[in-house]
Amino acid sequence: MAKMRSDRLKIVFVLCLAFVSIGGQHFESKVAQLLRDESEDIKCFVEVKDLTCFWEEERNSLPDQYTFTYSYENKIKDCVVSSLSLLASNKTVFFCKLPKTPFFTTLDVKVSRDRRMLYSRSLNAENFMFLDPPRNLTVLSSGKEGQLNVSWLPPLLKYMDDSMIYEVRYAEEGSNMGKVEVIKVSTMLVLLGLQSDTRYKVWVRVKPDGVAYKGYWSAWTEPVLGVTQPSELDPLIMLLVLFIGLILCLLSMTVILSHQKFLLKKLWPDIPTPERKFPGLFTVYKGDFKEWMSQNNSSMWGRSVHVFTEELPSPLEVLSEVSLSSHGTSQREERKPVEEDEEKESERSDSGLPDRWREPPQAHWLMEQLRTLQENPQPLSQSLLPQSHDTYVTLNQNSQGDGVREVDDVFEETLPLQTLFTTAGTPSLNTSHSDLGSLQQSSGSGRLSSQSSFEYPNHTWPPKGPGYAYMAVADSGVSMDYSPMSSSRIVELGRHRMYTNDYKNEIFLHKWPLSGEHTKSGSDFCMGPIW
Amino acid sequence: MQITRLFAFLLMVLEWTRPGLSSPLRPICDLRVVDHFIKEAWDAEAALRACKDACSIATNFTVPLTRVDFDVWAAMNIEEQAQEVQSGIHVLNDAISSLQASNQTDVLQSHIDASINNIASIRQVLRSLSIPEYVPPTNVGEDKEMQKVSSISELFQVHINFLRGKVRLLVASAPVCHQGVS
Repeated sequence: MAKMRSDRLKIVFVLCLAFVSIGGQHFESKVAQLLRDESEDIKCFVEVKDLTCFWEEERNSLPDQYTFTYSYENKIKDCVVSSLSLLASNKTVFFCKLPKTPFFTTLDVKVSRDRRMLYSRSLNAENFMFLDPPRNLTVLSSGKEGQLNVSWLPPLLKYMDDSMIYEVRYAEEGSNMGKVEVIKVSTMLVLLGLQSDTRYKVWVRVKPDGVAYKGYWSAWTEPVLGVTQPSELDPLIMLLVLFIGLILCLLSMTVILSHQKFLLKKLWPDIPTPERKFPGLFTVYKGDFKEWMSQNNSSMWGRSVHVFTEELPSPLEVLSEVSLSSHGTSQREERKPVEEDEEKESERSDSGLPDRWREPPQAHWLMEQLRTLQENPQPLSQSLLPQSHDTYVTLNQNSQGDGVREVDDVFEETLPLQTLFTTAGTPSLNTSHSDLGSLQQSSGSGRLSSQSSFEYPNHTWPPKGPGYAYMAVADSGVSMDYSPMSSSRIVELGRHRMYTNDYKNEIFLHKWPLSGEHTKSGSDFCMGPIW
Repeated sequence: MQITRLFAFLLMVLEWTRPGLSSPLRPICDLRVVDHFIKEAWDAEAALRACKDACSIATNFTVPLTRVDFDVWAAMNIEEQAQEVQSGIHVLNDAISSLQASNQTDVLQSHIDASINNIASIRQVLRSLSIPEYVPPTNVGEDKEMQKVSSISELFQVHINFLRGKVRLLVASAPVCHQGVS
């Protein structure tokens, strides 16, 4: 019997210790929190049913030195002071726990030391409820996506079940940013709008609602982890998406098919073939142009002529050769048309004849020379013909014949000048100094002086000799009068908007970078057609 | 003679039917109703807390004690609790009603009127819970459960404390509301 009694006593003692220790943990944490947050000298709170008031003091003092009294409804009562050492903050507090706390009435609390009042406070006990955190927090994933079911039990406290308010905090695992939900009375909450397949931490704390009881927020519970469901593809949405996609495909196919040809033409344009212009060339003659030409000679003649006419050299060309020899050549060639123009101008001014077809005696003589030369062509001149053709066309064309005639005229034109130059010193032709900047009347109009042609400038041109069917013009411009041609030629050239540009030496240098050799060549003419 | 017979007959009939009695009310067990009155009492108390000098009156008010010891309260039976609550309400009502007669500011008058209405509503709530009515004691002597206050602000403090404490506890533990709960 005695043994059983002692065992029972031991069990009770252990339970009491456990209870006190558990309560102590909460108690210490509450004291620590209020010590941090509360600014009053005497800090009070109600833990379960009893009011505890404490204050901070120096370590050296003893609890016996203090007197704690509280009064209500004209009654004064004492309370035993105890001390508590906070391990976390290394502070000592003195506290008193009222044994039978009167609620819903005004309490006057006083702390005295050596009969001297230190602190005092007037308060209502029901306004300082400091509850324990909620119990049994559980977080479960609900059946739906992005939701969590959170439930807990309220702290053990009678009379206050209906007047509690809860705060639920949740955050993603590893994140510090959390959201807070407030819920009244109910101990269950469904969290909405969460990310699927994510781990969340949930905390809960409690406080009196402030109507019948007031107090501080409790401490947060320990966090509880919950996992949301992974996202599922709603089958209805999938079906709808497929259906709409199918409809769009059908529509696009219909549009493409209805405008098939147009789209093909835009995307894959046909490479144009000349087959249309040459009927039968590729199909019948398999690309053999000669045969096709021969077969279609009569019908295609007109067209070929047009082709040839297109390829005929233009009567006037801007000569832009820059090599020494060629430049000299080009220079001279350029000068020819200029001189011719000058000659024409001078001829016009001199004669002033409206009739363009009148032939002065010099022109007639030239024609004679042409014909003689044509019968006896010189080899040199022929070699130079390709170069000089262009220029001499302009000079010597007699008539406005067809293309064939023109070709013949080219040959004719080269000859007379050559003849002129070979017979140096021919008195029939006279030089006439011309100011290149103006169109002067030549005194000896209509005459060409070959002597001037051989007045070379200081620098030496390659002595190509008199074989060149052009004149080398040095300081002075040579005016040549091909009067029968001049006026007519002007008409011809008028079709091509001919123009003359007069350059001084300097300008010529700028335009022709390689013309440094011709610094002293005097003024040069540059004539070019404008197409 | 015939008139006296008629009167006797009418008295019997009226005694039998008792038309003065109202139909039984549905019990109001939801504490949110009481909380609503408490919130209004809070407003009055907050408004009158600042009013001290202007609201002081020479006469004293007899008001009920508002103190609640939970252990003591839990040990009391329902009749004792009901008696305490009903007598306190009665006394409070008298005290606040005495203010209506005197000239007060408009703000104060509105709060006084609201408090009197609330007390009447609370009485209806208690009646719905089948709480026994208050029977004033025959002795005129001072009740130990009473106290004296000298200011209107104290009066309304007592008012709010009484409602939050004893009245609410009584409604929360009314046996009518806990019938059917094991």
